[in-house]
Amino acid sequence: MAEGTQTDPINATNGYDAIVVGGGHNGLVAAAYLGKAGLRTVVLERRDTLGGAAGTSELAPGARVPTLAHTVGRLRPSVVRDLELKRHGLSLVGPDVRVFAPGPDGDAIVLWGDVARTSDGLRGRSAADAQRYADFDRLVRSLSGFLGEIAGETPPDIESPGLGDALAGLRLGRTFRGLGRQDGRTITRVLPMAIADFVAESFETDALQAAIAWRAIQYTAMGPWSAGTTAVLLADSAGNDGGAAGQTVFARGGPGALVSALAAAATEAGVEIRTGTEVAHITSRDGRATGVVLAGGEELTARAVVAGIDPKRTLTRLADPVAVGPSLLWRAGNIRTPGTVVKVNLVLSGLPRFTAAGDETRLLRGRIVIAPGIDAMERAHDDAKYGRPSGAPIMEATIPSLADPSLVEGAAPGTHVMSVIVQAAPYALRDGTWDDAREVFGDLVVKTLDGYAPGLAGLVTARQVITPPDLERDYGLTGGHPMHGEHGLDQFFLWRPLLGHARYRFGLDGLYLAGAGAHPGGGLTGQNGQNAAREIIGDLRRRRPG
Amino acid sequence: MTQSYDAVVIGGGHNGLVSAAYLARAGMKTLVLERRHVLGGAAVTEEIFPGFRFSVFSYVVSLLRPEIIRDLQLPKHGLDILPLDGTLTPLHKGDGPKAGGGDYLWRVNDHGRTVRELRRWSAADGEAYEEYGQLMVEMARFIKPILAITPPDLTSLDPRPLMPLAGLARRFQALPQRQQAVFVQLMTMSASEFLDQWFETDPLKATMSASGIIGTYQGVKSPGTAYVLLHHYMGEIDGAFRAWGIPKGGTGGVSNAIGSAAQALGAEIRLNAPVARVIVKGGRAVGVALESGEEIHADSILSSLDSSRTFLGLLEPGTLDHSFEEEVRRFKFRGSSGKVNLAVDRLPDFTCLPGEGEHLRGAISFSPSIDDMETAYDDAKYGHFSRKPYIDMIIPTLVDPSMAPPGKHVISCFVQYAPYKLAPELGTWDDQREAFGDAVIDRIAEFAPNIRDIILHRNVQTPLDIERTTGLTEGNIFQGELSLEQLFFNRPVPGYARFRTPVRDLWLCGSSTHPGGGIMGANGRIAALEVLKARGRKAA
Repeated sequence: MAEGTQTDPINATNGYDAIVVGGGHNGLVAAAYLGKAGLRTVVLERRDTLGGAAGTSELAPGARVPTLAHTVGRLRPSVVRDLELKRHGLSLVGPDVRVFAPGPDGDAIVLWGDVARTSDGLRGRSAADAQRYADFDRLVRSLSGFLGEIAGETPPDIESPGLGDALAGLRLGRTFRGLGRQDGRTITRVLPMAIADFVAESFETDALQAAIAWRAIQYTAMGPWSAGTTAVLLADSAGNDGGAAGQTVFARGGPGALVSALAAAATEAGVEIRTGTEVAHITSRDGRATGVVLAGGEELTARAVVAGIDPKRTLTRLADPVAVGPSLLWRAGNIRTPGTVVKVNLVLSGLPRFTAAGDETRLLRGRIVIAPGIDAMERAHDDAKYGRPSGAPIMEATIPSLADPSLVEGAAPGTHVMSVIVQAAPYALRDGTWDDAREVFGDLVVKTLDGYAPGLAGLVTARQVITPPDLERDYGLTGGHPMHGEHGLDQFFLWRPLLGHARYRFGLDGLYLAGAGAHPGGGLTGQNGQNAAREIIGDLRRRRPG
Repeated sequence: MTQSYDAVVIGGGHNGLVSAAYLARAGMKTLVLERRHVLGGAAVTEEIFPGFRFSVFSYVVSLLRPEIIRDLQLPKHGLDILPLDGTLTPLHKGDGPKAGGGDYLWRVNDHGRTVRELRRWSAADGEAYEEYGQLMVEMARFIKPILAITPPDLTSLDPRPLMPLAGLARRFQALPQRQQAVFVQLMTMSASEFLDQWFETDPLKATMSASGIIGTYQGVKSPGTAYVLLHHYMGEIDGAFRAWGIPKGGTGGVSNAIGSAAQALGAEIRLNAPVARVIVKGGRAVGVALESGEEIHADSILSSLDSSRTFLGLLEPGTLDHSFEEEVRRFKFRGSSGKVNLAVDRLPDFTCLPGEGEHLRGAISFSPSIDDMETAYDDAKYGHFSRKPYIDMIIPTLVDPSMAPPGKHVISCFVQYAPYKLAPELGTWDDQREAFGDAVIDRIAEFAPNIRDIILHRNVQTPLDIERTTGLTEGNIFQGELSLEQLFFNRPVPGYARFRTPVRDLWLCGSSTHPGGGIMGANGRIAALEVLKARGRKAA
């Protein structure tokens, strides 16, 4: 490594307690907690705007869209409370409809926040399904509740002699037994299960199975028949009020407003925030992280270097390979980041009319899920696994301007914005490049939506298509994976991102991971940053300098 | 007057026979009841065509636990396993390595030779193969004891059954971190993604990943299949990991050896004795009623039938409470494999390696690429048998000529995928049997064009046939899918993985239990030991 990586924290004049690399939401959450703990903290963000995958941008004059993520309902209440995000401007709006899943035949599955209302609506399709929905929702809440508690904990130390007990259920066991015997047995059975099997145990209606299964495959390179997708669904409802339907909560002003609130909280806590500041590499000495060197050559030192960026990039691009060592480097290089998500943002000159919704526009206030059947979802995945963008893509669309008119207040009256997260669009194409495929795929997505909302295509006045390579290039997400690493059973809990490095201490002494690549995984929860900060504060208090 | 026994074992498959042998060995008066006229269940040898004898269903052995071979002195009872040398993966013309040298991948038991063959494809893979092989042996060593323990019930308030788990955790901690990580990957990853970490040669990955999907309704890219890869790595002949062989006289030879050992130890075996139901009095199993109407009393009843046949087939409705029965119905079988047995008048001639030779003496794996493997699964997912199936071909007569008339041969083709549940438009397996057989022959002919000319007789076993003949539900050769949620403490029903059932004195001892399927015998052995413990008897 370059000489510049050899620095002495003791003689460092600009020494921080903590340097947070990456100003995504988890980086900001971690920084805010560190600042509140009185630690001298700086956040370094490569881009000119904070937030990473959480942002709001103006796509057409006066029309602002959620650039990537569009809902914020998974945010941990404790984060909102601790950082006083409401006082810092966070304002949430949750429509009573959670999911509107139109079918090709013109009818739809509607999942409401209110369980009874949902099962009433299901009765038309299947009395049995309607009757089972409440039990299913209870089961999902019970199992997700367990995962929610786990999510707030640092995974046990596999080196500790207590591991046996932990695994034997004595530590986790209290939470585990809280499930009761029946659910306790159920969770060991269902976590590794394919979501198609899990939903089929309760429901017979294919469209309902698919509407629920959607969240189990979203952001993954898996289909509904892949083992472990049930864990993805349960994790998505963990620590929030999602239940079977899943959360649907918007931040007024878009996800960018959440980021502003986090930044305000961090700044108030004394955190220094520098945007447009790229970290070239992480310096280390005697196997201990000592700081960073910026792209401009400037060098910063700290007692703790905290990566908000993805773990693969952290160890294979920024850290000193000699310090990391060949074995860990090999493992880090094998962290799976198969990005399969394309984001399409649309500005519409008017509200689209979905056939299955008729004039009931309130149905369009939640998440509009286009996933007509388990097989349709699996076939979309079939395309992706052979390196083809799906010819019949499945997607989740929102029209945030319905719940939050402020997004379009500067645009012509009647304008709406639509945010579409599309699955089964693999990072690595077998034929051609995404630069060639980008607009073709964008057309296909609009055409697909138009099939459910005739005339929608004609309303599009502006369009933005963000492909997996774009996510990697512009947001630094390795493999274009929005979750910093696949939500697979092989990258879960004790081994997310890597076994032996799941306790937020990551690879080198003094190096920490606070991003989505750590337990409990991706999504706008803030949990990773909160957990990481807890560990960092503990460590730094244990070893005061001098 | 009705007879009475200490123990009755329902089903004379290899696991039932192993249980019976261990029970008899401990001095229990034991009776085995087999429905068919032959012993062995899915491990049988039958003369399907005059002069041609076949291992009708299962075909190779390597998983049979060495402690069982020792305890029951099986060699003395005729067990003789002839090693298979290597695996040939024939490829289409021009699909060989750029460097040339033949359109095939051929691995043999001689490690050095295999590494040289791999270097023909990729120097890196040749190197990785060494490291990978050692690592997998370490993994197999680590997991082996798990095959011999009784899974705990995590929700039990009694900590004692959890102790083996704590012991496991300690052994886990003793592993180097990289091995710990690899073990976790084995338990969670797809076979193909797991192998991607080491290898780049497509036919190599495809052929290795094949053992990750055998007997499952999963594809090589399905998470969880890496475990099955390891499951098949546990194979052990004379202590050599991953050495496969075929029993002299076919897989029935294994069953007959275990059967004769059981008899020598004092167990009785009755053929053509189908059990109609288990007699339950006051919540206790007290005996069995045969279809003939005869009743046999016993203190302990062990069923080597799968969980579905046992709980839903042999018990009076209402014996089990509703929620347990629901769990039993949830247990997934989903037979996914078929078998094509061929009697031929000469050997197949492979385009990539013409003529006879030692390349025919091992396994011949029709797995040219990962995509071929995965698309075969895609067909099955939507209810069609694979149009271009994966085939694991063995020519037993090359190592055991006694199986066919002089000069003639038998060919055993294990085929995936053949989903038990066909798409409605295909009708039933009775309609599709020959079409499936044709697809298999067509696939073979792509690589060995003379196959059609040499066939004297063809016998096609669909999952439906396997179910009809052996009783295996949905034709699943492992008595239940080896998917993650159906392993260890969830096999076959969460909370009932300890061979006990809700009916007192009724036990499971077949492959539906931990540690799953394959001609392994572990299930039968552990179950017998649990019964002896419950009866306060010492295992001899």
